[in-house]
Amino acid sequence: MGLASVNPSSEGLQLCIFDLRRGQHEGQELDKILFFYPADLPFSTQLSVTGLSEGLITFTRIFSPEAACEVIEAERHSHVFYEPEPDIWMVMVVEKSKEAEAIWRTDALREVLKEVHSLFMMFHGSIRALLDKEPGGGLTRSHLYPFVMDYLRDIFSGKKLQLPSFHDCLNERRTVQMLTVGREAAIEVQTLVRTLESSAGNTHCFSLILFQDLLVSSTLPPEDTINLFTYAVLRLTPRALSSGVSSWSYLRKGYSSSQVAGGSTFAHSGSVAEQFSGSVAEQFSGSCDTSSGDDRYRVVRPLQNDRWSKGKDGFLITDIWGTEVGDLDLATPTVWLKHTEARMYLCAYQYKSLTVIFLIPVNSILNGEQGVSMEKQKFLENASLKILKVEEKLSKGWGGENAYHVSGYRYLLVDSNRAISRASPAGKVTTLTKESLLALHMLRDEVDLEKGKNKWDHKAHDKDLEMCIRAKNNAWVIARITGGKELYMVLEKANEKLLYASDAVEKFSDRYCNGAFSLD
Amino acid sequence: MSGKASISQSSTGFGSGALSHVYIKHPPLRCSIPGSMGLFYDDGTKLLISTTSTQVFSWKTVPFSPLAAPTTDSISEGPILAVRFSLDEKLIAVQRSNSEIQFWLRETGETFCQKCKSESESILGFFWTDCPLCDIVVVKTSGLDFYSYDPASKSLTLVETRKLNVSWYVYTHESRLLLLASGMQCKTFNGFQLSSGGVIRLPKFEMLMAKSEANSKPVLADEDLYIVTVYGRIYCLQVDRVAMLLHCYRFYRDAVVQQGSLPIYSSKVAISVVDNVLLVHQVDAKVVILYDIFADSRAPISAPLPVLLRGLPRSNSSTSRSNGRESENSETSNANYHETIIYGDDWNFLVPDLVCDVANKLLWKIHLDLEAISASSSEVPSVLEFLQRRKLEANKAKQLCLAITRTVILERRPVNMVGRAMDVIVTSYSLSIKTGSYFKGTKAERRPTGVPNVNNPEAGTDVSVSQTDGRGKSIKFESNSRHNSGLINRSSTYSASDSEDTGSSEPLKTNLDDTPETQPSSLQPQTLGPVNNLVNHDVLEQQETQLATPAISPDEMYKFVFAPVDEEMVGEPSYLVAIILEFLRSANVEKVKVHPNIYVLTIQLLARSERYAELGLFIINKILEPSKEVAFQLLESGRQNPQTRKLGLDMLRQHPLHNDYVLLLVQDGYYLEALRYVRKHKVTGVRPSLFLEAAFSSNDPQHLAAVLRFFSDFIPGFRNTTDFCAYYRVLSEMNGTVNA
Repeated sequence: MGLASVNPSSEGLQLCIFDLRRGQHEGQELDKILFFYPADLPFSTQLSVTGLSEGLITFTRIFSPEAACEVIEAERHSHVFYEPEPDIWMVMVVEKSKEAEAIWRTDALREVLKEVHSLFMMFHGSIRALLDKEPGGGLTRSHLYPFVMDYLRDIFSGKKLQLPSFHDCLNERRTVQMLTVGREAAIEVQTLVRTLESSAGNTHCFSLILFQDLLVSSTLPPEDTINLFTYAVLRLTPRALSSGVSSWSYLRKGYSSSQVAGGSTFAHSGSVAEQFSGSVAEQFSGSCDTSSGDDRYRVVRPLQNDRWSKGKDGFLITDIWGTEVGDLDLATPTVWLKHTEARMYLCAYQYKSLTVIFLIPVNSILNGEQGVSMEKQKFLENASLKILKVEEKLSKGWGGENAYHVSGYRYLLVDSNRAISRASPAGKVTTLTKESLLALHMLRDEVDLEKGKNKWDHKAHDKDLEMCIRAKNNAWVIARITGGKELYMVLEKANEKLLYASDAVEKFSDRYCNGAFSLD
Repeated sequence: MSGKASISQSSTGFGSGALSHVYIKHPPLRCSIPGSMGLFYDDGTKLLISTTSTQVFSWKTVPFSPLAAPTTDSISEGPILAVRFSLDEKLIAVQRSNSEIQFWLRETGETFCQKCKSESESILGFFWTDCPLCDIVVVKTSGLDFYSYDPASKSLTLVETRKLNVSWYVYTHESRLLLLASGMQCKTFNGFQLSSGGVIRLPKFEMLMAKSEANSKPVLADEDLYIVTVYGRIYCLQVDRVAMLLHCYRFYRDAVVQQGSLPIYSSKVAISVVDNVLLVHQVDAKVVILYDIFADSRAPISAPLPVLLRGLPRSNSSTSRSNGRESENSETSNANYHETIIYGDDWNFLVPDLVCDVANKLLWKIHLDLEAISASSSEVPSVLEFLQRRKLEANKAKQLCLAITRTVILERRPVNMVGRAMDVIVTSYSLSIKTGSYFKGTKAERRPTGVPNVNNPEAGTDVSVSQTDGRGKSIKFESNSRHNSGLINRSSTYSASDSEDTGSSEPLKTNLDDTPETQPSSLQPQTLGPVNNLVNHDVLEQQETQLATPAISPDEMYKFVFAPVDEEMVGEPSYLVAIILEFLRSANVEKVKVHPNIYVLTIQLLARSERYAELGLFIINKILEPSKEVAFQLLESGRQNPQTRKLGLDMLRQHPLHNDYVLLLVQDGYYLEALRYVRKHKVTGVRPSLFLEAAFSSNDPQHLAAVLRFFSDFIPGFRNTTDFCAYYRVLSEMNGTVNA
C-alpha cells in the first residue's frame, strides 16, 4: 500500500493537461499545467514533458494549423496528443515496455483521453469555462485532479495499468453497446420513453434506458448518449452498483476491492487516493477529498467509487453531490449536456436489470430538490407499470452475457455513423492466442492510419477498405470498412484459402449486419 | 375541419333543454284507417295491422318508411282478438274467440277454422314459427299445441301437444323464445325455444319477487316481462314493482342465470332495443335510460333523458332540430303531431324498436342519437367501444369515432388514455377483419385514387358470398354473433364476466334467419347528424351508406386522424409520435398490418424536431417497418442528416430496390461501389452514361477506364454505342494529357 506499490506503474504512464494560453512568461511555465500524473514527479520533469509537447505542437502547427501533433513515437515512449478544447491539450506518455504486454494503439489511447475529457465536461463543464471563472487556475485544478484520478483508479487494476493494449483490440471505446430487441419489445420501450416525456409536460426532458450494461433507448444526441452511457456503465447499472457492495468504509476499501469480470469496472481504489491526498494536496490548493476539512472549493467527485446505491423507491441515490442544507434528502446530481448546453438534473431509476435515466432541465424546476422529488413522484405514477412490462419483455428476450457470441468468430463491429459497437463477449476473446491478437492489433493500427488519411482527404466521402492477413499462427485477421461501418474479425483454426475467409465474412455480414459488408 | 368542433357543436346544439340521447323522427307512419276497430303488431312478419270489420290493412315496418302503403285483405265479419300473418305471408290467422282461430289463404280467399277440443281450456294466443317441427303454435291454458300446415289439404295437423298449466305467456319471434308463466304468483316459468334447429326446452325456473308485506304476494303480470335480444344473446327482463328493480336473466341452453338488476324509477316501464342498446323507458318519469349490456357492467351509458321528437316543421324551436332535407319530406297535414305527447298513455312499445301511438294511430321508430351519447361521456375509450359496437348507423358511428379520436389528440389528453382508445379501435378493426364484416362495408366504397387498396383479395371473395344468397342476411347475422362472442373472449377487461359463454353452458342464440337490425338500408341518409358535415364530403360520398361496421382501418386512421391532426397541431410533434407509437403497439399486438404512410408520417415528425438519433432507433429496431416509401422518406429527411440518409440507403439495399440504390450511390459519388453492386446483383437497366459522367467528373483516368471496361464486359455491344465512343475519346485525351 502507499507510494511504493504505485511507483512501478507510474513510470509506465504520464498524463498531463495543460493550457497553452497560460504561463507565457519565463519562470511561469508551471502555471500552464492544470493536471499532472504522477503528481509526485519533480516539477522539472513535469515541465520537460509539457515543454517538449508544447514545442512539438508549435512546430507542427506551422504545417497543419488545424490539426497539430497527434503522436510522437520515441524509442521508449509514445506521446499521444489530444486537444479537447482550443489550446487545452491532453498528453499521455506511455512506456513501450520490452515485455510484449505494453503494446499500445495510439487511437485507443486517444479515446481514453477523449473519454476523460467528455466525462469531465458532462459534470463540470468545459475546462476553459472553469479557467475563465477563476483565472488563477485553482478552481480548475481542484476539479481536474480528483476527477481524473477517480477515473484513473478504474484503470488501475492492482499494480498494473489497464490501458487499452492489444488485448483490447476487439473493443472500441467511445461507442455505445446496444441491446438488440424485437419489434414488439422495441415498441414497448418507445412507449415507455414517450410516457416519460409526456409526464414531464412541456419541459424538454431526455431519457436513457439501459438493460444490464447495454443501451436500449436514448433520446439524447449521440455525443451525450455516449457520455451518459459510459457513466451509467461505470457507476449506475446493477453490475456497477454491486461491485461496491463490500463496504461504505473508506479505510477498508483498499483490499476488499472486488474485480468484476468483463474488464470494464475495476474497483481498486485505496492506493491512488492515498497517494494523492498525501502529495498532491500540498502542492495544489483544494483537496480532492471532500470529507477533509480545508477545501476552498466544494468539489463534487462524480466518479468516486461506491457512492451510489439503490434507494427504497427504486431511485438510485448518492451523497456525492452532498446534502441540501437543512434537509436530510440527498442532493440530486446534475449534468451538463453538450447538445443543449443546459444543466440537467439526473434521476436514475432501477428496476431489476433495467436502468432508466431521465434528465430534467434545472431551470425548469423552480423549487430545487422539492421540485425534483415531485417529478420523481410523477415519474413513478406514470411509468412504473410500463417499466415492469418493459423489464419483463427485455428479460424474456435477453440471451445472457454471451448473447452476441457467434461461434467460430471473434469480431468487433463498429457503426461509426451512430457510434455503436458490438463485439464478441470478453470471455470469448480471451481464448484467442497472443499471435492473433497482435496481428489484429497491427491491422487496426494500419486501418487507423488509413482512416486518418482518408479523413483529411475527403471529409464527407466514406471510403471502402478491405484488409485480410494471415497471421503466423495461421489465423485469418480481417478488417472491412464500408459506408462508415467497420468490421474486424479473427478466424482461428481456419482453412488456408482466402476464399474461405472471404466467405466467412460474407456469411457473417448477411446474418448479423443486414448484408452491410457483403458488397462482394 | 376538426373533430373538436364537432363535439362542442353537438353539445351546444342540444342545449340544456333539448338534450336527449334517443329520438323519434317526424314524420311517423300513419296507420289511421276509417272504421278501424283494432291495431295489432305481428312481430313475426313485422307487420303493423289495422282491422275493420271486414278488412285487414297491413303495413310493412321493415324497412321503416313513413310513406309505406298498406296492403288490404278482406275477411269475413266477426270479433278479432288477434291477427297474425304466416311467415311467408300466405295465410292470415285471426283469433275469433278464446276457442277458435280462423285462417284465410290470401291468394284464394279460402278459409278454415281451428277450434279447441275441450270446453275447459281456452286459447291464450298463437304464433307462427319456422321451427322444423311445426308451423303454428297455439298456447292454451292447458298447454301447447303444435300444428303443421298442409298446403295441399289446406288444413292444420296436430303434431304434438305439451300439457302444462299456463297463466299467461310471452313470446317474441326475434328470440324464438316462449315463456309460459304458471303458479300462484305467476313467477314459475317454463321456457321453450322454437329455433330452426328444433324445440329446446329450457329448465324450469322462478323469477325473483320482492314482498311488500308479509302476507301480500304480488302477482307477476305479462306486461312486466320482456324478452330482449342484444348482441345475439337472449335476456329476459322482469319488472319487480315492489323492489323497483328490473331483474335481468340470461338464457343458456341448459340454464337461466340471473345477471344483475337495473333500478327503475317509474311504476310503468317499457323496454326497447335499438342497435343492441337496451332502452329502459321510465314512462311515468318520461325519461329513458340506456344500457349497453355487452359488458358485465350494469351502469347506464348516460344520464336519464327524455325522448325527443325530431324533425317537426314549424315547431316550437326548443325541441326541434329540423333541417331542410327533412322538412321537404314532410307533408302539410300535421296539425295533430304538434300534440304528440312523448310517453303518452297511448304509447305502445313494440319489439324491438317501435312505438305505436294507439290514439293517434301513429307508428314511430326509435333512434339512438349516437352523437349525443358520445358527447355525454368524457371516458373516451369506453365511448369508442360503445360506438364500435354499433351496427345500425355504422357510418355515423365511424365518423364519430374518427372525430373523437382527432379531438383527444388535438387536446393532448394523457398518452395512456389515448393509448387505450387506440387499443379499442385496433381491436375492433382486427375483429372486423376476422369476421369479414369490414370488407362487406368497403366493397361498395369507391376508394380514392392513388391510395392502394390493401383489402383487395378478401373483398373479392366476399362479393361472391353475398351474391349467392337470398339469405345473405343470415350469414351476416351469424358472423355478427360470432363477432360478439369473439369480443368477449378477447377484450381482457370483460373476460371474466362473460366466461359462461365459453364454459359448459351454451348460450341461447337467436335464430339465424332473423336479422332484425342489420339491414343496411335502414340507414337513411337523413339520420346522419351534423357530425358528418364536419368530415370532408368526398369521404362521405365514397363510403356511401353501406358500411357494415364502424371499424377503422389503419389506412383510414392515417387519412382521417393522423394526417389532419398533424396539419392542425401546433407545437412539439413528439406528442403525436407518442400517439402513433401507441397505435403501432396495438396494431402489433393485434397483428394488424400498418400502411407505410403512417411510418412516413412518423419519420417526418421526428425529423421535424431533429430527433435523428431516435429516428435511427425506430428504423434499426424496425418499429417503422422497412418499405420503399419509408426508404424514400428517410432519404428525403436525410438531406439534413447524413446518418438518416444512410439508413434510407441501407433500406433500399435490403428491400431490395436495386435500381434506386445504384442510382443514389452514383449520385453520392460512389460509382465504383455502385458498379460492384450492379455486377453482384445483376442489376439491369442502369444507364452507363451516368457512371461515365461521374467517373469523368472525378478526373481520374483510371476510374474512367475501369467504368468503360466494366460496361464493355457487362453490356453486350456496348463498344458500339455512342457513349463508349465518346468517353473512349475522352479517356485517350486524358491519358494524353497525363502522359504529356
